[in-house]
Amino acid sequence: MIDIFTLALTHGLMALAALLLLGRADLDDEEAGERPPRPWQRRTPASDED
Amino acid sequence: MLDLGLLAFIGFMLVAGFKRPFLWVLTYIYIDLVIPQKIGWGIIASPSLKLSLVAFVAAFAGWLLLDSKAGARFTARQGMIVALLAWCGMTTISALYPVEAAEKWAWVWKALVFAAFLPLTLRTRLRIEAAVLFIVLAIGTIAINGGIKTVGGGGGYGTLHLLVDDNSGIYEGSIISTAAIAIIPLALWLARHGTIFKPDWRVWSFTAALIFACLLIPVGTSARTGLVAAAVLGVLLLRSVKYRFVYMGVASVLMMAAIPFLPASFTERMGTITAHEGDQSASTRVAVWKWTIDFARDHPLGGGFDAYRANSFTYQTRAVTNEGNSQSVEYQTVTESGRAYHSSYFELLGEQGYFGLGLWLVLQLLGLWHMERLRWRYGKRAGREGQNPGRASWQWGLASALQQAHLVYLVGAAFVGIAYQPFLFMLVGLQCALWSYVKRTEAPQAKVWARPGGNRPELAQPAE
Repeated sequence: MIDIFTLALTHGLMALAALLLLGRADLDDEEAGERPPRPWQRRTPASDED
Repeated sequence: MLDLGLLAFIGFMLVAGFKRPFLWVLTYIYIDLVIPQKIGWGIIASPSLKLSLVAFVAAFAGWLLLDSKAGARFTARQGMIVALLAWCGMTTISALYPVEAAEKWAWVWKALVFAAFLPLTLRTRLRIEAAVLFIVLAIGTIAINGGIKTVGGGGGYGTLHLLVDDNSGIYEGSIISTAAIAIIPLALWLARHGTIFKPDWRVWSFTAALIFACLLIPVGTSARTGLVAAAVLGVLLLRSVKYRFVYMGVASVLMMAAIPFLPASFTERMGTITAHEGDQSASTRVAVWKWTIDFARDHPLGGGFDAYRANSFTYQTRAVTNEGNSQSVEYQTVTESGRAYHSSYFELLGEQGYFGLGLWLVLQLLGLWHMERLRWRYGKRAGREGQNPGRASWQWGLASALQQAHLVYLVGAAFVGIAYQPFLFMLVGLQCALWSYVKRTEAPQAKVWARPGGNRPELAQPAE
């Protein structure tokens, strides 16, 4: 039971981290953050326009 | 069920790697540290499913074929790792025990190759952070498990059951104690500077619980090495904390409060740190160390992996027993053979000779020195655009954390043979990556490598 709990907790966190990394352009290229985000990366398109 | 869960996680990581090949590097870090093949007992444990090899090939091929190489540098320390690898290969060929040596070589080469390779992939800050996060969570998996079981009363020397049935590799009591203590500064760095999981109450609660679990590992395993490692970390943190007296006060109160709760088996075993004459484990160590020094004289180029199998010696242990008013001293003659080194420094001396030990030591000491240089550099600096100033900068924090983790490991390594553990070489890889990252990102603006007292007089004063 403890084993399952521990494995679920840390593996869950690692999987979540991996998911978050998938959406981060600066993982592969640090200057990516300084360029305007690609259309599918925009969360609030209105604020990006100004 | 357990197997399916683990395989699902690994499968997810491997598939996600097609979008971001760097995730394969993280997958390998995870597999190499947690060794999920040992946790499961069904499909995942089958030797035909070479998980470690699959992840290794994916990580390497992903970098080679799909990843950008912009900013990747090959540092002098990576060259030393390659030299150490070549040297180990040579001693393996001429090993005294070829079969056993080949078995150890089978995992050592992977740890060394990966360490030389890792910094090439860690080109961005986020990648460095992700690697630290995976190392902390991987070791954390074992530490949290052991921590909960220790609280539940499942501890004892060699009896704490940590996810797997065998007491070897990272799952061995002394090794996991050292590694668990070593990740504490890294976990603190993540909680302060993390961008994947940004600092908030959840991150801090998890970090606090993780640190508590890590501190419980030496208690649960009753490994004396762990207690020494924790003491060293306590002193090292003193150098980096902002409010030293508050830290000392809180630490001593916590320590005093903890003593009554420690199990008797733990306090008894820790008592033998100073009175080692009656302790067979400590006597053997000293005998093996003396033997290794003599062995190196006869085999200056090293005897190859597992050369300790050649040893055999007879020694006396002295035990004092009190019976009423009288005290009796009992001497026992013990003969033993094929005793392991119980120290990484002697492990290297015996297996790789003077040259191998020297190379390994330079590699480690240079890492500590590089991190110290980064501490100097960032410690007194005003913040640049978008960066925190001085000690609040992520670079200063990471250099300090890597130095502390490394020192803790090197102290623990004096009492247990962990010279080639993947965990150590991942720390080395991270240091190389941070060093070359700073060199690359800062070089145009200022001379990074100015010595204090050189052309940067403001760095001449010692740290506060």
